[in-house]
Amino acid sequence: MKVKTTRFGELEVNPNDLITFAEGLFGFENLKKYFVIDPGDSTLILWLQSTEDEKVAFPIIEPKIFKPDYIAKLLPADLNGLELESLQSAKLYSILTIPGNVTEMSANLKAPIVINSAKKIGKQIVLQDSKLSVKHEMYKELKTYIVNFSSDDARRTSYEPSIALESGDLKNTKTATRTLEAQ
Amino acid sequence: MLVLTRKLGESIAIDDNIKIVVVQIKGKQVRLGIKAPKETKIHREEVYQAIQDQNTEAVQASMSDIARLGEELKKK
Repeated sequence: MKVKTTRFGELEVNPNDLITFAEGLFGFENLKKYFVIDPGDSTLILWLQSTEDEKVAFPIIEPKIFKPDYIAKLLPADLNGLELESLQSAKLYSILTIPGNVTEMSANLKAPIVINSAKKIGKQIVLQDSKLSVKHEMYKELKTYIVNFSSDDARRTSYEPSIALESGDLKNTKTATRTLEAQ
Repeated sequence: MLVLTRKLGESIAIDDNIKIVVVQIKGKQVRLGIKAPKETKIHREEVYQAIQDQNTEAVQASMSDIARLGEELKKK
């Protein structure tokens, strides 16, 4: 199928590569179908391109590239609809914000994109960890990585998915007390 | 919207398995304890707004920004 995009022109996309976000992304709830574009440039940035709105494409990157210790702890509720049979088929991406001053680029660590690459289902998940930022500046870390490893393309996919289950047992419904402070 | 008045230490039950307790009242701040099943997602509401704003900002990235970023990243 042919898909029009503002950034990449008209692309030929295999319908099998389309990823369904049943709930859309936050603020883009009406757009459900996306595919991943790898422009293959030196920045290691991929794009999550909508097929329904040619202007909508999210720059994304694997968070392990700039933050090796990042782990997305998923709650059982987060897995609803993802139909994940194993974490091996889960891919994790952070959405990037790239302002005019590119050195102020940031990654959203609080709400990553999880994609079940086997079933082509995606979801933006809000992690419970309150220390994670929606605007984590990471230009320096990305630069360090690229300067050191730019020639090694294989590294792009050599990572284990940095995803963990909050509770190993999906049926565990024990209660836990959490405290939120209302301002 | 249902509005309930609660005193310090009192709570509200939602369904059979969610309990919200007023833990502390200090000036304009209220501390709430929430007892809920592990799979229940609990977030401050402004978190969702921040994520929405971030997504909206993210799709504004242009290819020329990326090209400039590529150049900057290559500099030693």
